[in-house]
Amino acid sequence: MIEILRNMWRRKFRTFLTVVGISVGIFAFTVMGSMALKLNKMIDGGKKYITGQISIMPKGTDFASGQTGGMLPIDTLNNIAKVPGVEAVEGSVGVSVDEPNPDEPVSVSMSTPATIYSLDTNSNFKNKNWETLAMKEGKLIDKDSADNDISIGSTVALDKKWKVGDKVTIRGREFKIVGILDKTMTGPDSYVFMKLPIVREMYIDSNPFLKSLRDRAAEASNISDKELAKLSPEARSQIMQAKTFKVEDVSTSAAVSWKDSVDPEQVVTRIKDQFKNEVVVLSPKKMGEQIDKASATMNAIIYGAAMLALIVGVFSITNTMVMSISERTKEIGIKKAIGASGRSISFEYTLEAGVISLIGGLIGMGIGTVAIVIINSKMASKGAEIFLLDANFLIGVVVFSFVIGIIAGIIPAARAAKMKVVDAIREL
Amino acid sequence: MKTIIKASGMKKSYKMSKTNIVKALDGVNLEIKEGDFSAIVGPSGCGKSTLMHILGLLDRPDEGRLVIDGVDVSNLKDKVANKIRAKKIGFIFQGFNLIPSLTAIENVVLAGKYGGMKPKARKARATLLLELVGLKDRVNHKPNELSGGQQQRVAIARALMNNPTVILADEPTGELDSKTSLEIINILKKLNRENNQTFLIVTHNNEVADACKKKIRLKDGKNA
Repeated sequence: MIEILRNMWRRKFRTFLTVVGISVGIFAFTVMGSMALKLNKMIDGGKKYITGQISIMPKGTDFASGQTGGMLPIDTLNNIAKVPGVEAVEGSVGVSVDEPNPDEPVSVSMSTPATIYSLDTNSNFKNKNWETLAMKEGKLIDKDSADNDISIGSTVALDKKWKVGDKVTIRGREFKIVGILDKTMTGPDSYVFMKLPIVREMYIDSNPFLKSLRDRAAEASNISDKELAKLSPEARSQIMQAKTFKVEDVSTSAAVSWKDSVDPEQVVTRIKDQFKNEVVVLSPKKMGEQIDKASATMNAIIYGAAMLALIVGVFSITNTMVMSISERTKEIGIKKAIGASGRSISFEYTLEAGVISLIGGLIGMGIGTVAIVIINSKMASKGAEIFLLDANFLIGVVVFSFVIGIIAGIIPAARAAKMKVVDAIREL
Repeated sequence: MKTIIKASGMKKSYKMSKTNIVKALDGVNLEIKEGDFSAIVGPSGCGKSTLMHILGLLDRPDEGRLVIDGVDVSNLKDKVANKIRAKKIGFIFQGFNLIPSLTAIENVVLAGKYGGMKPKARKARATLLLELVGLKDRVNHKPNELSGGQQQRVAIARALMNNPTVILADEPTGELDSKTSLEIINILKKLNRENNQTFLIVTHNNEVADACKKKIRLKDGKNA
């Protein structure tokens, strides 16, 4: 090992360049890999959640744009609850915490925007993979909570600097924070949980059409059929809509749990068969597969980009070793003359390549880790860290750098091992 | 006395081009007994170095039989030849040929490593040998910090590291002045006299040749 380090020191500039090449590759691998780890953790959380329920959307929902196709009427949800195998159904509504800013209709952010998410505290629905949400402080709202009690995700708490006990105003209404969730690394971190009826009201208030229906519903219910018949067809249609409007019909999605020992895919098929003209049913298995595919693609892109940088580093080590061995032909000849076997020569030079790469790996990983810590600390105040630092991953990166050095050194080392002693000696 | 090296009918040719084949050795015979202090002499190009390489298992003859310390090494596999070379043969070169990045003691220890000695034993023996050749105060110096004579003494210590059956020295005084050359030859003679170490020296230096008990003359690749 001393000889290896001395040989590296003898050719300082060349060693430096080679180490830099590997450092850059390992830096990219560390940073991109940590980003992938964070994204994978978020995706895992999301996957765990989505595969723990059958998700129902109104027919016509555009998954690409996120636009809902309409509402899920309460009658439809009640009928779904009667499908054999169904344990419980929970309608839900979501609306953004902050009202849209017409001056900034589009914003780009690495984090999920804060969203108000409804909890039907009267429902006995439970997600199969995520039955409870762990709390950092306080409690999750339940059926005994007041209407204006809310529980918030960890990212929301950090971003808005809210604490348990605070009274806050959201969309013009005052609420009291009764709990902050533990970090989940996924959706709930950005949620504000409120009781379903409250969120429904907020949703209606945010939608001019629904608002007008609600506001006119009381008035419409007092119009007799006789008076209705006198109205124009257009006016009659509007009144009919207002008459039949129910706040309970306002659900933008629903979640279905299945009974234990029942195959959820069979329940999916039954719901699809009965309600195919009214709802879109998302099978947990298919959703899981879609997520896995997307995750695999994302990982391939992230790691692929890092691997490219690493491949350049590997070639730089191979080049360095080839040059080094060609310059040290005499030395190899001496060693073979005094009894070194081809195997021991091969081992020495392969190890040297590994050590060069290991040094580059340690530097690259070190700088990458520092960069991650700095960037994450700047994003922490918004709860929007984009990297996940994992000790096992970092150790793996360093070990990987050593291994790729060994691989890069194999061919040049094999050439050194095969060198005929007498040919090397002739250079003496 | 025991025969250390017996070479019979050694032939070696080099193909310089399709039509130009050079016969370096053309049926050389040689016998070295234990305790010999012999020289291989001859004009330039007579095949001395080629013979030395073959005797040292650094090269293979095209024809002939070679027995080293009772073992027929004529058709040995490289792996086995390496082991025999490491344990039974010591080399001293004209240009000293120490590893420049290693100190004197590390150069000597290296031979012990390739000869299969355990680490503690290597260091102890290397220290002893360097003391034997008068370099007790230079053990931690690198080759570029030593004179030519001192470097050759390190090379001698290295050659002795594995208690070899024979030491092959190829022009050991070739790059030294006459005074230093004499010192080196005296060291070799002392080792031969006191330890019965067998030496075979290639030289074109008459003084060195005259210091040897036996001379093997070569001319045009044959025994002269």
